[in-house]
This record gives sequence, structure tokens and C-alpha cells, in this order.
Amino acid sequence: MQYLPGRGLLPHQRYAAVISNRAIRLPLSNPGKSAVVSAFLPPELLHAMGIVPQFTEGLAGYLNGAGCEHAFVRFAEDRGIPQTYCSYHKVLLGAALSGVLPKPKLVVNTTLACDANNNTFRTLADFWKVPRFTLDVPDRSDPDAVAYVAAQFRELKGFLEEVTGGKLAEEALRAVIRRENRSIRLYRGYFGELSEKYIPNDMTSEMYKIFMTHVLAGTKEAERYFELLLEDARKAAGSGNEIRLLWVHTLPFWQGSMKSILNGGRIQLLCCDMNFDCMAEMDEAAPYEALSRKLLQNTFGGPGVRRTDALLQMAETLRADGVVYFCQWGCKQTLGNAYPAKERLEQAGIPTLILDGDGCDRGNVNDGQMTTRLQAFLEILEAKR
Amino acid sequence: MIEYVCKYAPVELLAGFGEESALCNLSAASLERADQVMHRNLCSFSRALIEHRMDEGEGACPLVLTNCCDSLRRTFDMLCLRGQKAFLLDLPHQDGPCARELYQNELIRFIEEFSAYSGKEFDCGKFRAACGKRPERPGGPYIALMGARMSDELFRYVQENAPLPVVNLMCTGSRRIGEAPFSGDIGGLMKWYAGELLSQTPCMRMTDIASRREQMNDPDIRGIIYNTVSFCDYYSFEYAGMIKELSVPVLKIETDFTVQSAAQLKNRLNAFSENLSLPGAGSGSARARGNAMDTRRFFAGIDSGSTSTNAVILDGERNIVSFSIAPTGVSVEGSAKKVFEEALGKAGLEKAQIERTVSTGYGRTGIRFSSRDITEITCHAKGAYFLNPRVRTVIDIGGQDSKIIRLDESGTVKDFAMNDKCAAGTGRFLEMMAQSLGLTLESMSVCGLDWEEEIVISSMCSVFAQSEVVSLIASGKKLPDIVRGLNTSIASRVIALGGRTGMEGAYMMTGGVAKNTGVVRAMEEKLGAPVLRPEEPELCGALGAALAAWEADMRSK
Repeated sequence: MQYLPGRGLLPHQRYAAVISNRAIRLPLSNPGKSAVVSAFLPPELLHAMGIVPQFTEGLAGYLNGAGCEHAFVRFAEDRGIPQTYCSYHKVLLGAALSGVLPKPKLVVNTTLACDANNNTFRTLADFWKVPRFTLDVPDRSDPDAVAYVAAQFRELKGFLEEVTGGKLAEEALRAVIRRENRSIRLYRGYFGELSEKYIPNDMTSEMYKIFMTHVLAGTKEAERYFELLLEDARKAAGSGNEIRLLWVHTLPFWQGSMKSILNGGRIQLLCCDMNFDCMAEMDEAAPYEALSRKLLQNTFGGPGVRRTDALLQMAETLRADGVVYFCQWGCKQTLGNAYPAKERLEQAGIPTLILDGDGCDRGNVNDGQMTTRLQAFLEILEAKR
Repeated sequence: MIEYVCKYAPVELLAGFGEESALCNLSAASLERADQVMHRNLCSFSRALIEHRMDEGEGACPLVLTNCCDSLRRTFDMLCLRGQKAFLLDLPHQDGPCARELYQNELIRFIEEFSAYSGKEFDCGKFRAACGKRPERPGGPYIALMGARMSDELFRYVQENAPLPVVNLMCTGSRRIGEAPFSGDIGGLMKWYAGELLSQTPCMRMTDIASRREQMNDPDIRGIIYNTVSFCDYYSFEYAGMIKELSVPVLKIETDFTVQSAAQLKNRLNAFSENLSLPGAGSGSARARGNAMDTRRFFAGIDSGSTSTNAVILDGERNIVSFSIAPTGVSVEGSAKKVFEEALGKAGLEKAQIERTVSTGYGRTGIRFSSRDITEITCHAKGAYFLNPRVRTVIDIGGQDSKIIRLDESGTVKDFAMNDKCAAGTGRFLEMMAQSLGLTLESMSVCGLDWEEEIVISSMCSVFAQSEVVSLIASGKKLPDIVRGLNTSIASRVIALGGRTGMEGAYMMTGGVAKNTGVVRAMEEKLGAPVLRPEEPELCGALGAALAAWEADMRSK
């Protein structure tokens, strides 16, 4: 029963649980129509062509939910994948290299947002002997970079058509972009409500939201999710004396000690920054340039200060009491920005906790230390009131 | 002076401004200052770079970086925040017409930025003159140094001590830029230059790395030293992929850009050189077994380990005539003399009757009365193979380190892996845990055999594992279950170490920890195969050293 969506969940959260579950199951049951992708790959072309994406963080999270992720981590490490590598990627690699994850039709990834993408997806494509396409995303987002990435999207279209034997209908792509734009407008409306309200949230639901803001972006299911999200927000009670926390990076949704502190009660888990990494609407008339801008403007790319500024802005919009900067094991670009982000946020009056942990591998955390740090941070926020 | 860190950096372009430039590859005595401003789990080179720059403060010379990895991107952010002058070039992940055009524009942008900073004009003539310099290659056999960058100090040590010329094929090596065209404006020159930079042998950060394989297939390569940098993940992937395909000996090392790590690595580099310069040395013992020799000549081996010092004396037919084991005291040579004299006494021999003495172990160079010192890696391999020629993998767990040594069918070391600067998976780890549990090492050896509940010790660090064990005791977990969890934890760590080099039976465990029945059982469970255990496992290194003394005598005849 613990694996069923809880009764206390709001409609949008229950819906997300079902849809996310299906998003993991579909590519597993029909791998010949699936693409293994990185979370930051804009999925619009895939959706327009009926290719089902399977993504690292989602699959690794599900294997964690099944309690077997550490076996895959060990399997990967035994085959030379470094211990210091991102655990999400280790789980995906372990699942693939052990033969548990079925061979997909193709592999598509971006170089955004971290170094792990090149290593993981190259290893997977070599192991499965399937075609791979990599979108190279520069740090800069000037017109040269927009043209460079847009050209790659056009190449990706040709690649997908060649590998699958299908045809990308431009109208189907425009329809995906329209749905995504409607979703973004609904999502903005939600943030407007959230700034004044208390909307119960939990770490698992926040992780499910990553499905909607990333691999399912532009689907009917994601649009429905954002409709429900806004409806639930409109019905929610006004903000009271809750502690409002903004979160950086993924969340350790599996960790009992963290759940007991963060899920429900007086804590308002506002949002994790993966869920507002790119909120710009796209121009359906120039879809490849629009997709290019979507990648280039992502807050996880470019200098660290871009991500920090987005955090700062969201912290102010949502009236966050504090920020938990979660240092996911192995994510160097996140770890490298931890101290500068804390410094900048605290200069702006937003207390920030740097919390080392692992959102995916339960064999790689020191529960006691994490609990003490988080509780102490909450006590500080409480005392500031 | 301008510093740079990556082979894709526009070094010749800096020369076009009349600037001298140098590759920054220094190790640090400590990373204390870097750790104050950056997370510890970033690439060690980045941390060493920050440490140096923080030391130099505002006087630090300008630095040119590329966004070659996440750690260096964030290093750039940090240095800029601290007011240092640094430039960052946005390097594409691929080569091709579009990528070249993008990098061409990036180089032109850099010229403008540097010109504004320095107040200097870019001189195409000086730029052209700086191009066309390619690294020289030695003719004939060489050792390839591959993988991630290495500090200048360690690189020099490798060059000075390797038995063959060394070629730098690491990520910062093999930089090659052709002769620049004589005509063309800056735009045209930069188009050509972007192509030259991007068409170099790719580093692992690039998307298409197929041409990296070509450099490994050079028939002149006699051995490969493969370096990774801690918390730089790129090169472990290449190593994992290539190790199965290579037929030359490979030494895998990991550096953390500290002076201390360089010192520790010298042991392994020496062992690798020994095996390269003595091909088939391990086969001598097997082939010569049974040869008639008199029994009036004697050979000694002394193993000076972190916990115990051991001596073995062999006769001319390689029969063990005596041995001795004693704790290593404060004086390495004093402990060695003590065990040597005890072994002599037990055999009724005089020192003058010993033809040769070979020392091994961490204290081997401090034993002046030995005729030669050899690393414990070679010695454990020799000892294990002598005891059982079926052995293909030696698992040696001593007081302060653990090693996996792979042998070929003639007993020669194929490769080995060793733990890095961490007590987890060593005898010291067991001692610490036994202390926490209130057990002696002897009782701990059997305590975990009657376990009931599966307990996983997850902490990777010995210190945290100790606090985890204390928590388990406090939560009422049973002693045998905790001990079994610890045994499994050690087995997993050591096997993971060996997994990278590929392990095959027959397995033999040597070193003091092999006396621990629980750990041996856990190893057997994890490996799914029996593990041989010599009668006196901690003597294996000293036995190998005595065998090396005997072999040297054979060769001299």
C-alpha cells in the first residue's frame, strides 16, 4: 500500500503519480519505440513523432522506489564507473549494463546540464549498439549560439526520421509547442497563487513534477497536470505560519528522515529549481530556433550566477523563508555553485543551507548528519520569525 | 605571463599579443583554502588550481580557461567572484563546420576581450610564428602516459624513473597545431585556427572520441600508465572500456593533485617499472621449481609492513627453513633486524650464511642491510604463485592498504589496483571497528559467522562507518549481524577495486586480514568462488622477497 498514491494527496499530485508511472512503464514495455534521453533534452520532436522517452532521473528514481537501486550502483562501479559519479547516472548505467533495462531504439542527449551526459549516453549507445545523437549546448546564448543549436535540431529531425523510418510533421511539432506554451501559462498562474497560499506538497510529488516540466513537456497529459495544479492552487488556503522552503536540485524523496521533516506539517516545500529552469514560451512559427533558445536560456547552463539569480527571483516571488541547496552526490556543476549561491542568497537576506546527500542511492547517505543539519536550519528559520 | 589549463586554449593567440604562456599543472601541499570557498567533491585539479590562485591573491597572473568540465566552469565563476582576472572560452563539444564557425567567433571575441584588457594589439605575424610546433615523439618503444592530467612534479618523476621513454598522451598532452597559412585576415586565420584546435586528438569531454583509440594501437607502446584525477569522472570511463582490449601492461593510478598523493604513487610506479624491465620475471620461480640446488645456501626476504615486519629464509631449493613475525616498531630497520635475527636463530644460521636479502613493504627502502628492495606488489605475486601456481588473482589486505594483483599463467603481474588514501577496506578499518564493538581481532574473525539479519554498512569513510556502527549498537542490533555487515562491506570495497581490472580465479588472499575467517567468507560469497588462504598469509610478501633474492642469485650465475 505504501507504493500507491496517498489519499491525502491533491488531485494534481495523484494524477502526476499515475502519469509518471506510465511514463516509466511505456518505454519499458515497448523499448523498440523508445529513446533513452537526458532530462534536459527538449522532448518536443520525440512527442511529435510518437517516440517515447525514458530519462535518467525518472528511471533511477523508480528503481530506488523499488529498493534495488544500490545493486545497480554496485554493478556499475564493479565495471569501472567511478564511485564519484552521479548516482542517477550510475543507476541507469547499472540497469543497462546488467541487461535489466531493455535496449531502446536510440539514444538522444544534450551536453546540458552536466558532464555526466557525454559519458553516460556514449557508454549506453556503445553498449547497446544503437544510434546516438548529441545536442551540443554552448554556455553563451548569443545569436551565434542560437543558430548553432537550431541547426542541430534540424539535424536531429533528419536523424530521428532516418532511424525510425517515420516522418516529422511540422504541424504536429507546432501543436506540441502550443500545448507547452499553454502549460507554461497555467504554470505561471500557479506560481502567482503559490506566492500567497499554502499548498501542501511532498518530495515525491515535486519529483513527479520534473516529468511534467521536462520529458512530458508539450503532451496532453502534462497540460492536464498543469490545469489540475492551478485548480488545486486556487482552492488552497491562504498562507499562514508555515516555513516556506525553496529547494535546489533533486530531492531525496525516498529518505524516511527527510520525509518526516519536509512532507506536510508546517513546511511548505515550494518548488525545486529543476522545475523552473526554463519558463519562456516558444514561437511555434520558428520551432527550431525556439527550441534552441529554450536550451540556451536554461538556468542550469551558463555561469552559476544565472541559476542563482533564478533562485533569488523565485525566492522573492514565493516569499521563501530559506533555501535548501541540495548537493547531489556527483553533480559537480551543482556542487561548484553551492558556496557562491549561498553567499549571494544570504546577502539578499535569504538563509541558505548546503545539504550534502543523495537523491537516488540510499547506500550513500549519512542519515543522522543530514537530519541534524536540516533540523538545525529549520530551527534557525523558526527563530527568525 | 598568462597561465592556461587545457590543450584547446588559444596559446598561439596569446603569442600573437606578445604574451608568454604556461600550462598550469601544479600540485598543492594542502587544499585548505580551496575548501573554504568550494565544495570538496569537485575535481581535485580545480581545487589545487584555486588553492594556488588564492595563495597568489591579487598578484596572480591572468588565467585562460575553457569550459572543458563542470568543475572548471565553476572554478572560473569562483575566481571571478574573488576578483581574479580569468578568461573563459566557450569550447564546442564536437568538431565540424558549424562547431568550427562557433569557435572561430569565440576566438575573435577573445582577441577583442584580451586586447581591451591588455591594451595590446594582436599581431598576425607573431601568431603565425608561434604555430607549427608539434611535440616530439621518441623513435622506438615507449611508455604511454594516458588519461587525465598529472602534476608537473609527478610527471617528471615518471619520466626520470621509467625504464623507457615516456610520451605524454594525457588530456593536456599531444597538443598539435600546424603551420599557419601565410595569407588571410584575422577572420580567415581564426577559421583555420579553430579547425586546428578542434581537430586535435579529442579529450574525453568531446562527443566523438573514436580517434582516441588509434593512439592506443601504436605497436611501439610497451606499457601504459593510466591516470585519473579524483572527482574527474571522464577518464575512468575510457579506462573501463579499454582495459579489456589492451595486451600491453597497464598501471592505473589516481591522483588528487596533492604533494602527498604524488609521494604515495611512487610505490606503484616503481612496481610497474620493475615488471616492465623484468619481463617474465615471475615465470622464473615456476619454471625453476624442482631444479636441483644444494641446501647449504640461503636467501632471506623481509617485509616491512605498517603493522608487522616479517622475515622468511629459504634454502637453495626454496624450502622455507624458518620465518619470524613481529610488530613494526618505531624503527623500521630495528624491527627488520629483530625479525631477521629471530629467523636466523630459529634456523640455526649465521648472517654470513645468507647469500642475498631482499626487502619489501612500505619500509623496504629503510632496510640498509638488504641487497635490493622490491615493492610488495611484485613480492606478494611471487609468493602467492609459488604457493599455488593456479592463482590468478591475489587479494592482499594489509594494515593500511588493500590491493588486487592479477597474474598471468606464468605468474607475472598483469596489473593491479590499490585503495587510495583511505582506510576503508583495510586492516586498520577492522581494528577501528573491533575497538568500537569491544572485540579482539581474533573474536571478530568468527563473530560474524552466526549472523541472522542482513545489515548494510553504507558509509564509505572509516570514520563515518565507525559512527554508523555506534548507531547500530545503540539501536540494539546484534553483534554478529553488525560484524557480518562490516565483513561484507570490506569484501565489497575490495572487490569493487578489483572489478575495474577484471578478476579471475583461482583467488588467494594474503596479508594479515586473510586470517579473519569472516572476511574470507564474505569474499567467497561476493566472488562466488573459493578463496585460497595460505597457512601464514601475512608471510606472503616476505616469501616473495626471499624468492626474488633466490631468482637474482640464479640470474647471476
